[in-house]
Amino acid sequence: MKVLIVEDERSMALEMEAFLKRAFYLCDLAYSAKAARDMMDNHPYNFILLDLGLPDQDGLLVLKEAKVKCPDASYIILTARGDLDDRIKGLDLGADDYLAKPFSLLELQSRMQAIARRKSGLNDNVVALGDFFVDLTRRIVLFEKTEVDLSRKEFDLLSYMLLHKNRPLTRLQLSEHIWGNFSDDDYDSNYIDVHVKNIRKKLSVFAEVDWLQTIRGTGYKIKC
Amino acid sequence: MKLLSKLTLYNTLSKMAIVLLFIWLLPALVKDVAFQYTNYNLHEQEKKVLHTIDKNGIDYYFDGDSSYGSYTMLKEEYISLDANLAGMAHDTIETARRIIDKDTLQYRILTHVLRYKNKSYVLEIGKTLASIDQYNQPLQRVALYVLIALIALTLLIDLVFTRVLLRPLGLIIKTKLLNRKFPFRDEHPPVKTSTSDFKYLDNSLIDLMDKVKTAFEKERAFTSNASHELLTPLGILQNKMENLMGAEISEEAQEKIGGMMQTLNRLKKIVRSLLLIARIDNDQFVKKDRLLVKACVKDVLTELEDRIDASGIRVTQKINSSMILQGVNKDLLFQLIYNLVNNAIRYNKPNGSIDIREELETGKRYMLIIEDTGVGIDPKDLSHIFERFKKSGPAEGEGYGIGLSIVQSIAQYHAIDIRIASTPGSGTIISLVFPESLL
Repeated sequence: MKVLIVEDERSMALEMEAFLKRAFYLCDLAYSAKAARDMMDNHPYNFILLDLGLPDQDGLLVLKEAKVKCPDASYIILTARGDLDDRIKGLDLGADDYLAKPFSLLELQSRMQAIARRKSGLNDNVVALGDFFVDLTRRIVLFEKTEVDLSRKEFDLLSYMLLHKNRPLTRLQLSEHIWGNFSDDDYDSNYIDVHVKNIRKKLSVFAEVDWLQTIRGTGYKIKC
Repeated sequence: MKLLSKLTLYNTLSKMAIVLLFIWLLPALVKDVAFQYTNYNLHEQEKKVLHTIDKNGIDYYFDGDSSYGSYTMLKEEYISLDANLAGMAHDTIETARRIIDKDTLQYRILTHVLRYKNKSYVLEIGKTLASIDQYNQPLQRVALYVLIALIALTLLIDLVFTRVLLRPLGLIIKTKLLNRKFPFRDEHPPVKTSTSDFKYLDNSLIDLMDKVKTAFEKERAFTSNASHELLTPLGILQNKMENLMGAEISEEAQEKIGGMMQTLNRLKKIVRSLLLIARIDNDQFVKKDRLLVKACVKDVLTELEDRIDASGIRVTQKINSSMILQGVNKDLLFQLIYNLVNNAIRYNKPNGSIDIREELETGKRYMLIIEDTGVGIDPKDLSHIFERFKKSGPAEGEGYGIGLSIVQSIAQYHAIDIRIASTPGSGTIISLVFPESLL
């Protein structure tokens, strides 16, 4: 997977690059609209992550142009601009998703994965997890053909941890994914414990869930 | 008391005082005028008599006698001419008693001493007081009626005039002060009036509102810019920490970074909330959606389902009407209801309950009521709960006290009235009153 990061804030671009590299994405960086245009001319990309507040040109114009140059790429708009129309305009111009700064890199990867899954059109999105299988398309967890009854949020939580397996996730990161902008404070993250407890309870009826680890004082991790 | 009432009352009382004074003075006045007139009349008659004597000689009256006397049939007037035996020296006019043909009557008498052919005579012309006074009563009455009618008329004119005069004041109060929603974004032209005092008042109010508006705009622009400028560095910090968290580090370091992320998150939430409020106050949200209240409440409850279950709170939802709100922003309204229900869960007691119901006054307004059996709000805190960063209830370090600020901004933006009734220890009832314009 090849990703072009168009972002004028260098340190942010570098962090994104570092993170995505670890998730086995190949990244190119462009700090301006001009540089982005040059790169798009020369390389094909699967993903273009586009900041709207570029110094030399409005990101929305870049998007319009890029859609012609790289029609097959998936676009995610990243912005700290206040204008609410940006979201609508961006999606109208063909962007696949929109993330408001400051965003979580985990969330970014999750969105990228969701887009890739959607676009690949493959129904076969089943991931093994211990003795279980997680079907990301049908949004169910199976144990030897038996479906484990998880609530919507519990499944969201499990699949998010699975996507970021072997990485400690804080309660906050989890609650931010589950409740998005509605998560208004730490109070929400307490419910993460309740959800994880339920997931453990429901899955352990069938098999061991020792892969779902608690990290004292921090949060949780799926180790596999 | 209203200014109009005061002015009317003053006018009425002052005129009443004048009427009373006049009523008190009227008999004396009328009497005086009658006397003056009688005196004048008597003098005229005297002139006539003297003229006759001049022309025809005094014997014209005496006709051989030594005196002359004559009176009208009812003795209302008399005239007498006698030799001046008493030796009167000068003319008088006075009220005195006279016996005329056995009747004693009060007369107004003019006495004139005249010399004719070296002899002195006294001429007396009299008029009974009764005949003088006979017109007093009707005169007084007519004068009184006319006066009362005139006063009533002037009062009426006063009232109408005062009303017209004061109308701009009412208009100024209505357009410039009442029914105005902070931050006074609606423009009102100056009220038309020729009264300079009102113009002054009106202009002062317009100036004041402009100042308030400018100050508010400045604050809003500041909040919006500051929040926006903070978002990028916050994002960089967050991403750096996230990368650090994923690196091979000790559990201790992970816990520390986790703590840092929590603090950063708190900062992020505050900045985002401030920005959201600034954007709402900035009219940046489009209000063109239609929203089925029932569906919205259901969505909120679905979103909060897990924590309702986890807290063991019983929620009863009695929204049966298919009330649709028009011209609203559904995302904002969702957030409004979400925040309120979330608070109702959060500040509830174990095994408590939440009751969501509606009240509809046909064609008037619609009320959505969220009642909880929570810890309630202290009366002294009630007026502060919408202030930013104010927290009520047990200070458990949860929340940043901005959720209700958002609620208030959204409500104000939609002209929704929020009513709160709370009993500490037993619960809170929050009513959202949707105005007719949204129905």
